[in-house]
Amino acid sequence: MKMQININPRLRLSPFVMVLLALMGIAFLVAMVRYAVGIGPISNLSNAYPWGFWVSFDLFTGIAISSGAFVLTSLVYILELEQFRPLVRPTLLTGFLGYVMEVIALLVDLGHPERIWHYFIYQNFTSFLLVIGLYVMIYSAIMAVELAPAVLERLKLQKPAALIRRFMKPLVILGATISVLHQGSLGALLLIQPAKLFPLWWTPLLPVLFFISSLAIALAMTIFESSLSSRYFRRGLETHLLEKLAAAIPFVLGLYLVVRFVQLALSDNLQYLFNSGMMSILFWGEILLGSVAPLVLFAFKRFRQSPRGLLTGAILLLLGMVLNRFDVSWFAVKHPDPLSYVPSFMAYHVHYIPSLPEVSISLGIFSFGILAFGLAVKYLPIFEEEGHQPPASAAD
Amino acid sequence: MTDIQNIQHKTFLFDATRCIDCRACMISCSVENNIAMNKTRIWVAGVGLLGQYPDLKRGTMVYHCMHCEDPDCLSACPVGAYHKREDGPVLYDPAKCIGCRYCMNACPFGVPHFDYDKGLIDGAFIDKCTMCPQRIDNGQEPACVATCPTDALMFGEREALLKEAHARIAAHPERYINHVYGETENGGTSYLILSHIPFNQLGLPNLGPTPVRDVSQAVIGLTIPAALGIGVVLTGVSLGVHAYHQRKPAVEQPDESEGAREETK
Repeated sequence: MKMQININPRLRLSPFVMVLLALMGIAFLVAMVRYAVGIGPISNLSNAYPWGFWVSFDLFTGIAISSGAFVLTSLVYILELEQFRPLVRPTLLTGFLGYVMEVIALLVDLGHPERIWHYFIYQNFTSFLLVIGLYVMIYSAIMAVELAPAVLERLKLQKPAALIRRFMKPLVILGATISVLHQGSLGALLLIQPAKLFPLWWTPLLPVLFFISSLAIALAMTIFESSLSSRYFRRGLETHLLEKLAAAIPFVLGLYLVVRFVQLALSDNLQYLFNSGMMSILFWGEILLGSVAPLVLFAFKRFRQSPRGLLTGAILLLLGMVLNRFDVSWFAVKHPDPLSYVPSFMAYHVHYIPSLPEVSISLGIFSFGILAFGLAVKYLPIFEEEGHQPPASAAD
Repeated sequence: MTDIQNIQHKTFLFDATRCIDCRACMISCSVENNIAMNKTRIWVAGVGLLGQYPDLKRGTMVYHCMHCEDPDCLSACPVGAYHKREDGPVLYDPAKCIGCRYCMNACPFGVPHFDYDKGLIDGAFIDKCTMCPQRIDNGQEPACVATCPTDALMFGEREALLKEAHARIAAHPERYINHVYGETENGGTSYLILSHIPFNQLGLPNLGPTPVRDVSQAVIGLTIPAALGIGVVLTGVSLGVHAYHQRKPAVEQPDESEGAREETK
């Protein structure tokens, strides 16, 4: 019985935790101001840029980096690659917190957060935002159930934990289905903007591209997060496992690049590759950082086997893919804005830069995520699932 | 003039060559619809002087909701706050709105706008032109049209106005660009525009004859088949892998995975 030394009744406030708490406090205050006087005074969102930093960062990036949950659970429960089991709960936790953070951000970004229940009574099924909202709710619930055994084990409630474990496989299949649809639908959210999104990004294949890139992000995020937590929580790094994940990345990225460029060629949009100024720079930035560099680096076994190499490749991939999410949802979108008397042919000159309070909201939510992750890892059996022997009792 | 409430397909016609930039339409709209001083449902965009002396041209564009035949805002709204009336107007129901602002992203004309200056208590809503249902249902033209001193804005049956627009182009081909904006753009709109300067210089986007929502709606139609397909494939793979492992118990991967697998059995 290793029924834990690690319950520490005294809450120790390290400087890092203090900073996180302070950021959360600031975000909370800013949110209160936003609820009192509106979105305008605290943000630079406008009728020209109805969606900005919150959507790009919290929604597009947040959901993308949560994709590890469905990939890792699928590897272990569907493909029965048991060796990856140690990585399941940390990525599940990351995914679950990512979704929770996105919901919190939504409650700030929505004009009427108190009406979120309208999602259940007024449903317009031609809207990708509706299905995305439903996926978020359903998949958060599924991830909560998938994580529940960790909490139940901690509370020594072995019976319900065993019950959930018995239904884990169908649960994972359902969750993975919803998650694939969700990742794709995020790309599909922008399908309605063919006139606004720059042609290097707009394509009917957006959902497919989003799905493929979410696989790469999932693998990179798992590597990234395991590398970091092995440092902060002083655990051994599962380099041999991460090496196997990294080995899959070149194939995923290769497929992504092929689909991306073949689509550009077929839609006759290759002409924009080099002569579109900032748009070309952004495009090549995300392609080189997020796809080409990690593809090449992870193709070398020696690179994959070094912890430093793994982390470097994962960070490059994540940076490039995050840039991609920012591009499609912000940088490459232009809105005609009659209110500012700027004809749409000049609308590239209408700039949007998020305001400090706007960023502070996202920072606060992110701090909450980090803190929640730390607390969960501290008090719940997240990293040592197999160390506990409950799986054995599951068969009883 | 026919009775306004009996018009089957109510439509505006705006003729940029007739507009004198007086902005009376903005004022009457705001008065009629009780719009706050710092807001408006109509934008009158002056595009300044164009061309070379002595061929100088000035353009003014009166811009409000285009009342599309296939509204993209309606397609995008997750909670169905928009609806399109049979006779033309695209209307918005603030009681359903959750303030997500996806309609603003969807609208290729950038028409719906949001109360960024309202908190939870005041209630922040989308606002846009309604085609003045309170007037057109009682036999009156929309406020902007009724006020326009030069008939730059007209109101009537879509077919009749299209005919009128083409007649004006035919009568003065040197004055007009040979195109009625809104006849086919975005699947057709209930706001038709005649102009003497290129439409994109008036701030109007170049749009094809199909509504921008088409691809989105086609793809969302694939959701159920995709869900079933993914579900079936994953279930199949899962069953297959499981059967395979049952048949060949733990031969492959004898290293660290073995302990874990035994625990689950």
